[in-house]
Amino acid sequence: MANELAALSNELAAAVERTGKSVVAVHARPRFSSSGVFWRPGIIVTAEHTIRREEEITVTLPDGSSAPATLAGSDSGTDVAVLKVEAAGEPVLPAASDPVPGHLALAIARSEDSGVNASMGIISAVSGDWRTWRGGRLDHYIRLDLTMFPNTSGGVVVNAAGGAIGIATSALSRIAGVAIPAATVNRVLDQILARGHVTRGYLGVGLQPVELPDHHKGLIVLSLEPDGPAAKAGVLIGDILVSLGGTTVDDTEDIQGVLEGHSVGQSVEAEFLRGGSSRKIAIVVGERPRRS
Amino acid sequence: MLGFGEVAERLRRSTVQVFAKGARGGGSGVIWKSDGLFITNAHVARNTEAQVQLWDGRRLDARVTSLDPRRDLAALRVTASGLDAVTPGDSQALRAGELVIAVGSPLGFAGAVSTGVIHSLGPLAGMGRQSWIRADVQLAPGNSGGPLANAQGHVVGINTAIVNGLGVAVPISAAVEFVRRGARPSLGVVLRPVRLGMEILRVEPAGAAAAASLHEGDILLGSFDDLSDALDSGREVVRLRFFRGGIERVREVFVPLVARAEAA
Repeated sequence: MANELAALSNELAAAVERTGKSVVAVHARPRFSSSGVFWRPGIIVTAEHTIRREEEITVTLPDGSSAPATLAGSDSGTDVAVLKVEAAGEPVLPAASDPVPGHLALAIARSEDSGVNASMGIISAVSGDWRTWRGGRLDHYIRLDLTMFPNTSGGVVVNAAGGAIGIATSALSRIAGVAIPAATVNRVLDQILARGHVTRGYLGVGLQPVELPDHHKGLIVLSLEPDGPAAKAGVLIGDILVSLGGTTVDDTEDIQGVLEGHSVGQSVEAEFLRGGSSRKIAIVVGERPRRS
Repeated sequence: MLGFGEVAERLRRSTVQVFAKGARGGGSGVIWKSDGLFITNAHVARNTEAQVQLWDGRRLDARVTSLDPRRDLAALRVTASGLDAVTPGDSQALRAGELVIAVGSPLGFAGAVSTGVIHSLGPLAGMGRQSWIRADVQLAPGNSGGPLANAQGHVVGINTAIVNGLGVAVPISAAVEFVRRGARPSLGVVLRPVRLGMEILRVEPAGAAAAASLHEGDILLGSFDDLSDALDSGREVVRLRFFRGGIERVREVFVPLVARAEAA
Protein backbone atom coordinates (compact mmCIF):
# COMPACT_ATOMS: atom_id res chain seq x y z
CA MET A 1 0.00 0.00 0.00
CA ALA A 2 2.02 2.90 -1.30
CA ASN A 3 1.18 6.25 0.22
CA GLU A 4 2.87 9.57 0.80
CA LEU A 5 3.01 9.16 4.55
CA ALA A 6 4.85 5.85 4.17
CA ALA A 7 7.21 7.47 1.65
CA LEU A 8 7.99 10.28 4.11
CA SER A 9 8.43 7.73 6.90
CA ASN A 10 10.95 5.80 4.79
CA GLU A 11 12.78 8.99 3.89
CA LEU A 12 13.11 9.98 7.57
CA ALA A 13 14.28 6.50 8.59
CA ALA A 14 16.83 6.53 5.78
CA ALA A 15 18.12 9.94 6.92
CA VAL A 16 18.51 8.61 10.47
CA GLU A 17 20.25 5.46 9.29
CA ARG A 18 22.70 7.34 7.07
CA THR A 19 23.40 10.14 9.55
CA GLY A 20 23.61 7.67 12.44
CA LYS A 21 26.87 6.39 10.91
CA SER A 22 28.39 9.76 11.85
CA VAL A 23 26.95 9.99 15.38
CA VAL A 24 28.71 8.70 18.51
CA ALA A 25 27.88 8.53 22.22
CA VAL A 26 30.23 10.67 24.34
CA HIS A 27 31.07 9.59 27.88
CA ALA A 28 32.45 12.64 29.67
CA ARG A 29 29.98 13.31 32.48
CA PRO A 30 28.29 11.37 35.28
CA ARG A 31 24.99 9.56 34.68
CA PHE A 32 23.79 10.40 31.18
CA SER A 33 26.12 10.22 28.22
CA SER A 34 25.82 12.86 25.52
CA SER A 35 26.29 12.58 21.78
CA GLY A 36 28.88 13.77 19.30
CA VAL A 37 29.22 13.98 15.53
CA PHE A 38 32.05 13.17 13.13
CA TRP A 39 32.37 16.58 11.52
CA ARG A 40 35.65 15.88 9.72
CA PRO A 41 37.76 12.68 9.53
CA GLY A 42 38.91 11.83 13.06
CA ILE A 43 37.26 14.98 14.46
CA ILE A 44 34.13 14.78 16.62
CA VAL A 45 32.14 17.88 17.57
CA THR A 46 29.96 17.81 20.68
CA ALA A 47 28.25 20.21 23.11
CA GLU A 48 30.78 21.79 25.48
CA HIS A 49 28.41 21.78 28.47
CA THR A 50 28.29 17.97 28.41
CA ILE A 51 32.08 17.66 28.80
CA ARG A 52 32.58 17.54 32.54
CA ARG A 53 36.05 16.00 32.59
CA GLU A 54 39.11 16.50 30.42
CA GLU A 55 40.58 13.05 30.80
CA GLU A 56 39.35 9.51 30.36
CA ILE A 57 36.80 10.57 27.77
CA THR A 58 35.50 7.67 25.70
CA VAL A 59 33.12 7.50 22.78
CA THR A 60 30.86 4.69 21.58
CA LEU A 61 31.37 4.51 17.82
CA PRO A 62 28.55 3.73 15.36
CA ASP A 63 29.72 0.09 15.13
CA GLY A 64 29.16 -0.25 18.89
CA SER A 65 32.85 -0.34 19.84
CA SER A 66 34.33 1.97 22.42
CA ALA A 67 37.31 4.22 21.73
CA PRO A 68 39.33 6.73 23.77
CA ALA A 69 39.01 10.38 22.75
CA THR A 70 41.15 13.40 23.56
CA LEU A 71 39.75 16.87 24.09
CA ALA A 72 41.29 19.06 21.38
CA GLY A 73 39.69 22.17 22.83
CA SER A 74 36.37 23.79 23.58
CA ASP A 75 34.53 27.07 23.54
CA SER A 76 31.93 27.58 26.23
CA GLY A 77 30.62 30.74 24.53
CA THR A 78 29.23 28.81 21.58
CA ASP A 79 28.93 25.49 23.50
CA VAL A 80 31.25 23.72 21.04
CA ALA A 81 33.81 21.11 22.11
CA VAL A 82 36.12 19.20 19.79
CA LEU A 83 37.31 15.63 20.37
CA LYS A 84 39.93 13.71 18.43
CA VAL A 85 39.74 9.95 17.95
CA GLU A 86 41.86 7.51 16.00
CA ALA A 87 38.99 6.25 13.86
CA ALA A 88 38.30 8.45 10.83
CA GLY A 89 34.53 7.96 11.00
CA GLU A 90 32.08 9.15 8.38
CA PRO A 91 31.72 12.93 8.49
CA VAL A 92 28.16 14.25 8.28
CA LEU A 93 26.88 15.73 5.05
CA PRO A 94 26.18 19.47 5.19
CA ALA A 95 22.64 20.66 4.50
CA ALA A 96 22.15 21.77 0.90
CA SER A 97 19.87 24.64 1.87
CA ASP A 98 19.47 27.08 4.77
CA PRO A 99 17.07 26.12 7.57
CA VAL A 100 13.58 27.62 7.29
CA PRO A 101 11.02 27.91 10.11
CA GLY A 102 8.39 25.21 9.72
CA HIS A 103 10.65 22.69 8.02
CA LEU A 104 10.98 19.25 9.56
CA ALA A 105 14.06 18.63 11.65
CA LEU A 106 15.44 15.46 13.24
CA ALA A 107 17.81 15.40 16.20
CA ILE A 108 19.95 12.29 15.89
CA ALA A 109 21.84 11.05 18.91
CA ARG A 110 23.37 7.87 20.25
CA SER A 111 23.61 6.10 23.58
CA GLU A 112 25.35 2.88 24.48
CA ASP A 113 22.06 1.16 25.42
CA SER A 114 19.74 2.33 22.68
CA GLY A 115 22.15 2.77 19.79
CA VAL A 116 21.22 5.49 17.34
CA ASN A 117 18.08 7.40 18.32
CA ALA A 118 15.95 10.11 16.82
CA SER A 119 13.44 12.76 17.80
CA MET A 120 11.49 14.81 15.30
CA GLY A 121 9.92 18.23 15.21
CA ILE A 122 10.16 21.45 13.27
CA ILE A 123 12.48 24.41 13.09
CA SER A 124 10.49 26.99 15.00
CA ALA A 125 12.61 30.10 14.43
CA VAL A 126 15.65 31.23 12.47
CA SER A 127 17.25 34.63 12.86
CA GLY A 128 20.58 36.26 12.10
CA ASP A 129 23.58 36.73 14.38
CA TRP A 130 22.82 35.88 17.97
CA ARG A 131 24.93 36.31 21.06
CA THR A 132 24.44 33.52 23.58
CA TRP A 133 24.14 34.16 27.32
CA ARG A 134 27.51 32.42 27.54
CA GLY A 135 29.10 35.23 25.50
CA GLY A 136 29.72 33.48 22.18
CA ARG A 137 28.29 34.45 18.83
CA LEU A 138 26.17 32.10 16.74
CA ASP A 139 25.84 32.90 13.04
CA HIS A 140 22.11 32.15 13.32
CA TYR A 141 19.70 31.55 16.14
CA ILE A 142 18.00 28.28 15.15
CA ARG A 143 15.28 27.32 17.64
CA LEU A 144 14.02 23.75 17.59
CA ASP A 145 10.51 22.56 18.38
CA LEU A 146 11.46 19.00 19.24
CA THR A 147 11.92 16.99 22.42
CA MET A 148 15.44 17.19 23.82
CA PHE A 149 16.27 14.00 25.70
CA PRO A 150 19.26 13.80 28.06
CA ASN A 151 21.55 12.38 25.37
CA THR A 152 20.32 14.63 22.55
CA SER A 153 22.82 17.42 23.36
CA GLY A 154 25.86 17.12 21.11
CA GLY A 155 23.87 15.16 18.53
CA VAL A 156 23.28 16.45 15.05
CA VAL A 157 20.21 18.29 13.79
CA VAL A 158 19.41 17.38 10.20
CA ASN A 159 16.71 18.29 7.73
CA ALA A 160 14.40 15.68 6.19
CA ALA A 161 17.02 14.96 3.53
CA GLY A 162 19.66 14.19 6.17
CA GLY A 163 21.76 17.32 5.65
CA ALA A 164 23.39 18.68 8.84
CA ILE A 165 21.93 21.98 10.05
CA GLY A 166 24.00 22.08 13.23
CA ILE A 167 24.70 20.59 16.66
CA ALA A 168 21.83 20.16 19.13
CA THR A 169 22.17 21.76 22.54
CA SER A 170 19.82 22.29 25.45
CA ALA A 171 22.18 24.71 27.21
CA LEU A 172 21.74 27.88 25.15
CA SER A 173 18.04 28.49 25.75
CA ARG A 174 15.75 27.82 28.66
CA ILE A 175 12.67 27.41 26.54
CA ALA A 176 13.83 25.29 23.63
CA GLY A 177 16.58 23.25 22.09
CA VAL A 178 18.92 25.23 19.83
CA ALA A 179 20.99 24.11 16.87
CA ILE A 180 24.52 25.53 16.89
CA PRO A 181 24.68 26.42 13.16
CA ALA A 182 27.08 24.48 10.91
CA ALA A 183 28.79 27.78 9.94
CA THR A 184 29.52 28.52 13.61
CA VAL A 185 30.78 24.97 14.18
CA ASN A 186 33.17 25.31 11.22
CA ARG A 187 34.45 28.69 12.40
CA VAL A 188 35.02 27.58 16.00
CA LEU A 189 36.44 24.24 14.91
CA ASP A 190 39.08 25.92 12.72
CA GLN A 191 40.20 28.10 15.63
CA ILE A 192 40.28 25.21 18.08
CA LEU A 193 42.28 23.02 15.71
CA ALA A 194 44.74 25.87 15.07
CA ARG A 195 45.16 27.11 18.65
CA GLY A 196 43.37 24.71 20.99
CA HIS A 197 40.89 27.37 22.02
CA VAL A 198 38.93 30.34 20.72
CA THR A 199 40.65 33.64 21.36
CA ARG A 200 38.51 36.58 22.28
CA GLY A 201 39.60 40.18 22.12
CA TYR A 202 40.04 41.88 25.49
CA LEU A 203 40.44 45.48 26.65
CA GLY A 204 40.73 44.89 30.39
CA VAL A 205 38.04 47.38 31.42
CA GLY A 206 34.89 47.14 33.48
CA LEU A 207 32.19 49.29 31.85
CA GLN A 208 28.77 50.59 32.84
CA PRO A 209 26.33 52.28 30.44
CA VAL A 210 25.62 55.92 31.31
CA GLU A 211 23.48 58.62 29.76
CA LEU A 212 25.33 61.73 28.68
CA PRO A 213 24.00 65.31 29.02
CA ASP A 214 23.38 65.42 25.26
CA HIS A 215 21.12 62.34 25.62
CA HIS A 216 23.63 60.13 23.90
CA LYS A 217 24.88 57.11 25.71
CA GLY A 218 28.36 55.98 26.60
CA LEU A 219 30.13 53.45 28.74
CA ILE A 220 31.94 54.69 31.83
CA VAL A 221 35.12 52.90 32.91
CA LEU A 222 34.52 51.57 36.43
CA SER A 223 37.53 49.33 36.72
CA LEU A 224 40.81 48.72 34.94
CA GLU A 225 42.78 45.52 34.80
CA PRO A 226 46.29 46.49 36.00
CA ASP A 227 48.66 46.26 33.03
CA GLY A 228 45.68 45.33 30.84
CA PRO A 229 45.46 46.59 27.25
CA ALA A 230 43.42 49.69 28.18
CA ALA A 231 45.57 50.58 31.20
CA LYS A 232 48.70 50.31 29.09
CA ALA A 233 47.20 52.66 26.50
CA GLY A 234 46.56 55.29 29.18
CA VAL A 235 42.83 54.86 29.82
CA LEU A 236 41.77 56.06 33.30
CA ILE A 237 38.91 55.12 35.57
CA GLY A 238 36.09 57.59 34.96
CA ASP A 239 36.72 57.93 31.22
CA ILE A 240 33.56 57.52 29.18
CA LEU A 241 33.88 55.36 26.07
CA VAL A 242 31.66 56.64 23.25
CA SER A 243 33.03 54.86 20.21
CA LEU A 244 35.30 51.94 19.42
CA GLY A 245 36.82 51.18 16.02
CA GLY A 246 34.64 53.90 14.50
CA THR A 247 31.40 52.43 15.87
CA THR A 248 29.39 54.27 18.51
CA VAL A 249 28.92 52.10 21.55
CA ASP A 250 26.22 52.31 24.18
CA ASP A 251 26.11 48.76 25.47
CA THR A 252 28.74 46.20 26.47
CA GLU A 253 27.45 43.91 23.72
CA ASP A 254 28.58 46.51 21.18
CA ILE A 255 32.12 46.17 22.53
CA GLN A 256 32.09 42.39 22.01
CA GLY A 257 30.78 42.93 18.50
CA VAL A 258 33.61 45.35 17.61
CA LEU A 259 36.27 43.15 19.19
CA GLU A 260 35.13 40.18 17.14
CA GLY A 261 36.26 42.09 14.02
CA HIS A 262 39.70 42.77 15.51
CA SER A 263 42.22 40.04 16.08
CA VAL A 264 44.46 39.94 19.13
CA GLY A 265 47.48 42.23 18.71
CA GLN A 266 45.65 44.60 16.36
CA SER A 267 45.20 48.23 17.36
CA VAL A 268 41.70 49.65 17.76
CA GLU A 269 40.88 53.34 18.08
CA ALA A 270 38.75 54.24 21.08
CA GLU A 271 37.11 57.63 21.64
CA PHE A 272 36.67 58.68 25.24
CA LEU A 273 35.19 61.68 27.01
CA ARG A 274 37.49 62.83 29.77
CA GLY A 275 36.59 65.96 31.73
CA GLY A 276 34.03 66.87 29.07
CA SER A 277 36.45 66.80 26.17
CA SER A 278 36.88 64.08 23.63
CA ARG A 279 40.14 62.23 23.15
CA LYS A 280 41.16 59.34 20.95
CA ILE A 281 43.30 56.54 22.34
CA ALA A 282 44.69 53.59 20.36
CA ILE A 283 44.41 50.33 22.35
CA VAL A 284 46.21 47.15 21.32
CA VAL A 285 43.62 44.38 21.66
CA GLY A 286 44.74 41.73 24.15
CA GLU A 287 43.57 38.17 24.60
CA ARG A 288 40.94 37.54 27.20
CA PRO A 289 42.45 35.47 30.00
CA ARG A 290 40.90 31.99 29.97
CA ARG A 291 39.13 30.59 32.98
CA SER A 292 41.06 27.61 34.23
CA MET B 1 -3.34 8.96 -0.55
CA LEU B 2 -3.33 8.02 3.12
CA GLY B 3 -2.57 10.77 5.62
CA PHE B 4 -2.35 10.67 9.37
CA GLY B 5 -6.10 11.38 9.48
CA GLU B 6 -7.11 8.28 7.52
CA VAL B 7 -4.63 6.07 9.37
CA ALA B 8 -5.88 7.42 12.71
CA GLU B 9 -9.53 6.91 11.81
CA ARG B 10 -8.98 3.24 10.94
CA LEU B 11 -6.91 2.71 14.03
CA ARG B 12 -9.57 4.28 16.23
CA ARG B 13 -12.08 1.64 15.14
CA SER B 14 -9.71 -1.08 16.30
CA THR B 15 -8.86 0.57 19.63
CA VAL B 16 -10.94 0.05 22.77
CA GLN B 17 -11.01 1.41 26.29
CA VAL B 18 -10.38 -1.22 28.96
CA PHE B 19 -11.74 -0.96 32.48
CA ALA B 20 -10.47 -3.59 34.91
CA LYS B 21 -12.98 -4.64 37.52
CA GLY B 22 -12.45 -2.85 40.81
CA ALA B 23 -9.80 -0.52 39.42
CA ARG B 24 -10.05 3.23 39.06
CA GLY B 25 -9.33 4.69 35.64
CA GLY B 26 -8.86 2.67 32.53
CA GLY B 27 -6.42 1.84 29.83
CA SER B 28 -6.58 1.03 26.15
CA GLY B 29 -6.58 -2.16 24.14
CA VAL B 30 -6.54 -3.38 20.55
CA ILE B 31 -8.98 -5.66 18.75
CA TRP B 32 -6.82 -8.62 17.76
CA LYS B 33 -9.46 -10.83 16.18
CA SER B 34 -12.84 -9.84 14.79
CA ASP B 35 -14.51 -12.56 16.87
CA GLY B 36 -13.69 -10.82 20.15
CA LEU B 37 -10.05 -11.32 21.14
CA PHE B 38 -8.39 -8.20 22.56
CA ILE B 39 -4.81 -7.50 23.60
CA THR B 40 -3.89 -4.99 26.29
CA ASN B 41 -1.25 -4.55 28.99
CA ALA B 42 -1.18 -6.89 31.98
CA HIS B 43 -1.06 -3.82 34.22
CA VAL B 44 -4.30 -2.58 32.63
CA ALA B 45 -6.21 -5.90 32.83
CA ARG B 46 -4.99 -6.74 36.35
CA ASN B 47 -8.06 -8.80 37.27
CA THR B 48 -9.84 -11.78 35.80
CA GLU B 49 -12.75 -9.64 34.71
CA ALA B 50 -12.89 -6.40 32.78
CA GLN B 51 -15.10 -4.32 30.54
CA VAL B 52 -14.19 -3.03 27.11
CA GLN B 53 -15.76 -0.08 25.36
CA LEU B 54 -15.71 -0.04 21.56
CA TRP B 55 -15.24 3.10 19.46
CA ASP B 56 -19.01 3.21 18.84
CA GLY B 57 -19.72 3.32 22.57
CA ARG B 58 -20.81 -0.31 23.04
CA ARG B 59 -19.61 -1.64 26.37
CA LEU B 60 -18.96 -5.38 26.66
CA ASP B 61 -18.02 -7.67 29.53
CA ALA B 62 -14.67 -9.36 28.99
CA ARG B 63 -12.83 -12.26 30.57
CA VAL B 64 -9.06 -12.08 31.01
CA THR B 65 -7.85 -15.36 29.51
CA SER B 66 -4.09 -14.93 29.82
CA LEU B 67 -1.60 -12.63 31.53
CA ASP B 68 2.13 -12.28 30.90
CA PRO B 69 3.35 -9.87 33.57
CA ARG B 70 6.96 -10.10 32.38
CA ARG B 71 5.99 -8.82 28.94
CA ASP B 72 3.11 -6.77 30.37
CA LEU B 73 0.58 -8.34 27.99
CA ALA B 74 -2.92 -9.65 28.60
CA ALA B 75 -5.54 -11.32 26.40
CA LEU B 76 -9.24 -10.53 26.84
CA ARG B 77 -12.22 -12.38 25.42
CA VAL B 78 -15.70 -11.09 24.65
CA THR B 79 -18.54 -12.67 22.75
CA ALA B 80 -18.83 -10.66 19.57
CA SER B 81 -18.39 -10.86 15.85
CA GLY B 82 -17.48 -8.60 12.96
CA LEU B 83 -15.15 -6.33 14.94
CA ASP B 84 -12.48 -4.30 13.10
CA ALA B 85 -9.28 -6.15 13.98
CA VAL B 86 -5.86 -4.49 13.68
CA THR B 87 -3.30 -5.53 11.08
CA PRO B 88 -0.07 -6.44 12.87
CA GLY B 89 3.03 -4.97 11.24
CA ASP B 90 6.63 -6.17 11.28
CA SER B 91 8.23 -4.81 14.45
CA GLN B 92 11.56 -6.50 13.59
CA ALA B 93 11.87 -4.30 10.49
CA LEU B 94 11.37 -1.00 12.38
CA ARG B 95 14.00 1.71 12.02
CA ALA B 96 14.73 4.77 14.14
CA GLY B 97 13.15 7.83 12.52
CA GLU B 98 10.08 6.06 11.08
CA LEU B 99 6.80 7.89 11.58
CA VAL B 100 4.51 6.37 14.19
CA ILE B 101 1.02 7.10 15.45
CA ALA B 102 -0.40 6.20 18.86
CA VAL B 103 -4.12 5.92 19.61
CA GLY B 104 -5.61 5.44 23.05
CA SER B 105 -7.46 7.06 25.91
CA PRO B 106 -4.84 9.22 27.60
CA LEU B 107 -6.34 10.61 30.80
CA GLY B 108 -9.69 9.19 29.68
CA PHE B 109 -9.98 11.00 26.32
CA ALA B 110 -11.06 8.14 24.08
CA GLY B 111 -9.62 8.00 20.59
CA ALA B 112 -6.89 10.58 21.17
CA VAL B 113 -4.08 10.52 18.61
CA SER B 114 -0.43 11.42 18.99
CA THR B 115 2.26 11.21 16.34
CA GLY B 116 6.03 11.14 16.30
CA VAL B 117 8.94 8.97 15.25
CA ILE B 118 10.65 5.81 16.45
CA HIS B 119 13.34 7.02 18.85
CA SER B 120 15.29 3.79 19.28
CA LEU B 121 14.96 0.03 19.61
CA GLY B 122 16.49 -2.46 22.00
CA PRO B 123 16.61 -3.56 25.63
CA LEU B 124 15.87 -1.23 28.54
CA ALA B 125 18.42 -1.03 31.36
CA GLY B 126 17.41 -3.39 34.18
CA MET B 127 14.51 -4.90 32.23
CA GLY B 128 16.15 -8.08 30.98
CA ARG B 129 17.27 -8.84 27.46
CA GLN B 130 13.93 -8.43 25.75
CA SER B 131 13.66 -5.68 23.18
CA TRP B 132 11.38 -2.64 23.48
CA ILE B 133 10.32 0.13 21.12
CA ARG B 134 11.04 3.65 22.32
CA ALA B 135 9.02 6.29 20.51
CA ASP B 136 9.25 10.08 20.52
CA VAL B 137 5.48 10.44 20.98
CA GLN B 138 3.51 12.17 23.70
CA LEU B 139 1.77 9.52 25.81
CA ALA B 140 -0.12 9.75 29.10
CA PRO B 141 -1.64 7.26 31.55
CA GLY B 142 -4.56 5.66 29.70
CA ASN B 143 -2.53 5.10 26.53
CA SER B 144 -1.33 1.84 28.09
CA GLY B 145 -2.42 -1.19 26.10
CA GLY B 146 -3.23 0.86 23.00
CA PRO B 147 -1.70 0.57 19.55
CA LEU B 148 1.47 2.15 18.18
CA ALA B 149 1.19 1.97 14.39
CA ASN B 150 3.46 2.79 11.46
CA ALA B 151 2.68 5.08 8.52
CA GLN B 152 0.66 2.32 6.85
CA GLY B 153 -1.55 1.89 9.89
CA HIS B 154 -0.06 -1.50 10.75
CA VAL B 155 0.31 -1.98 14.48
CA VAL B 156 3.98 -2.38 15.43
CA GLY B 157 3.74 -2.12 19.21
CA ILE B 158 1.54 -2.00 22.32
CA ASN B 159 2.10 1.24 24.26
CA THR B 160 3.13 0.27 27.77
CA ALA B 161 5.03 2.90 29.69
CA ILE B 162 6.57 6.35 29.71
CA VAL B 163 10.27 6.44 30.59
CA ASN B 164 12.12 9.80 30.71
CA GLY B 165 9.39 11.30 28.52
CA LEU B 166 9.71 8.58 25.88
CA GLY B 167 6.86 6.27 24.97
CA VAL B 168 7.86 2.64 25.53
CA ALA B 169 5.99 -0.08 23.63
CA VAL B 170 6.09 -3.87 23.56
CA PRO B 171 7.04 -4.93 20.01
CA ILE B 172 4.07 -6.49 18.23
CA SER B 173 6.15 -9.62 17.54
CA ALA B 174 5.94 -10.32 21.29
CA ALA B 175 2.14 -9.93 21.18
CA VAL B 176 1.94 -12.31 18.19
CA GLU B 177 4.04 -14.83 20.12
CA PHE B 178 1.89 -14.29 23.23
CA VAL B 179 -1.33 -14.99 21.31
CA ARG B 180 0.14 -18.02 19.59
CA ARG B 181 1.97 -19.61 22.53
CA GLY B 182 0.44 -18.10 25.64
CA ALA B 183 2.13 -16.40 28.56
CA ARG B 184 5.73 -17.23 29.25
CA PRO B 185 6.49 -18.95 32.55
CA SER B 186 6.79 -16.64 35.51
CA LEU B 187 7.64 -17.01 39.17
CA GLY B 188 4.67 -15.00 40.41
CA VAL B 189 6.70 -12.60 42.49
CA VAL B 190 7.43 -8.90 42.67
CA LEU B 191 11.18 -8.31 42.92
CA ARG B 192 13.36 -5.38 43.76
CA PRO B 193 17.10 -5.26 43.10
CA VAL B 194 19.28 -5.21 46.23
CA ARG B 195 23.03 -5.45 46.70
CA LEU B 196 23.08 -9.23 47.02
CA GLY B 197 20.55 -10.03 44.32
CA MET B 198 16.78 -9.55 44.15
CA GLU B 199 14.55 -9.24 47.18
CA ILE B 200 11.06 -10.75 46.98
CA LEU B 201 8.58 -8.00 47.87
CA ARG B 202 5.38 -9.92 47.16
CA VAL B 203 4.47 -13.54 46.39
CA GLU B 204 1.31 -14.15 44.40
CA PRO B 205 -0.82 -16.80 46.12
CA ALA B 206 -1.25 -19.13 43.15
CA GLY B 207 2.17 -18.58 41.56
CA ALA B 208 5.10 -20.92 41.09
CA ALA B 209 7.13 -19.26 43.84
CA ALA B 210 4.32 -19.69 46.38
CA ALA B 211 4.02 -23.36 45.47
CA ALA B 212 7.75 -23.75 46.12
CA SER B 213 7.32 -22.00 49.52
CA LEU B 214 9.42 -18.94 48.76
CA HIS B 215 8.62 -16.07 51.12
CA GLU B 216 8.51 -12.33 51.08
CA GLY B 217 11.91 -11.06 52.22
CA ASP B 218 13.86 -13.91 50.65
CA ILE B 219 16.75 -12.66 48.55
CA LEU B 220 17.30 -14.46 45.25
CA LEU B 221 20.91 -14.63 44.10
CA GLY B 222 21.88 -13.69 40.57
CA SER B 223 20.71 -11.00 38.18
CA PHE B 224 17.36 -10.23 36.63
CA ASP B 225 18.78 -11.15 33.21
CA ASP B 226 19.93 -14.58 34.48
CA LEU B 227 16.49 -15.23 35.96
CA SER B 228 14.78 -14.23 32.69
CA ASP B 229 17.08 -16.54 30.76
CA ALA B 230 16.32 -19.43 33.14
CA LEU B 231 12.57 -18.88 32.84
CA ASP B 232 12.78 -18.71 29.04
CA SER B 233 15.10 -21.73 28.72
CA GLY B 234 12.19 -24.10 28.14
CA ARG B 235 13.02 -26.21 31.20
CA GLU B 236 10.07 -27.18 33.39
CA VAL B 237 11.94 -26.59 36.63
CA VAL B 238 14.32 -23.78 37.54
CA ARG B 239 16.90 -24.00 40.31
CA LEU B 240 17.13 -20.87 42.45
CA ARG B 241 19.66 -20.03 45.14
CA PHE B 242 18.58 -17.64 47.86
CA PHE B 243 19.21 -16.22 51.34
CA ARG B 244 16.59 -16.31 54.07
CA GLY B 245 16.91 -14.37 57.29
CA GLY B 246 20.66 -13.96 57.02
CA ILE B 247 23.56 -14.53 54.70
CA GLU B 248 25.36 -17.34 56.51
CA ARG B 249 23.76 -20.10 54.44
CA VAL B 250 22.87 -20.23 50.75
CA ARG B 251 19.61 -22.15 50.34
CA GLU B 252 18.41 -23.77 47.18
CA VAL B 253 14.96 -24.46 45.77
CA PHE B 254 13.69 -26.17 42.63
CA VAL B 255 10.65 -24.32 41.28
CA PRO B 256 8.31 -26.22 38.94
CA LEU B 257 6.94 -23.79 36.37
CA VAL B 258 3.37 -23.63 35.18
CA ALA B 259 3.07 -24.69 31.55
CA ARG B 260 2.06 -22.16 28.91
CA ALA B 261 -1.62 -21.58 28.53
CA GLU B 262 -3.19 -20.61 25.23
CA ALA B 263 -4.22 -16.99 25.13
CA ALA B 264 -6.76 -17.51 22.40
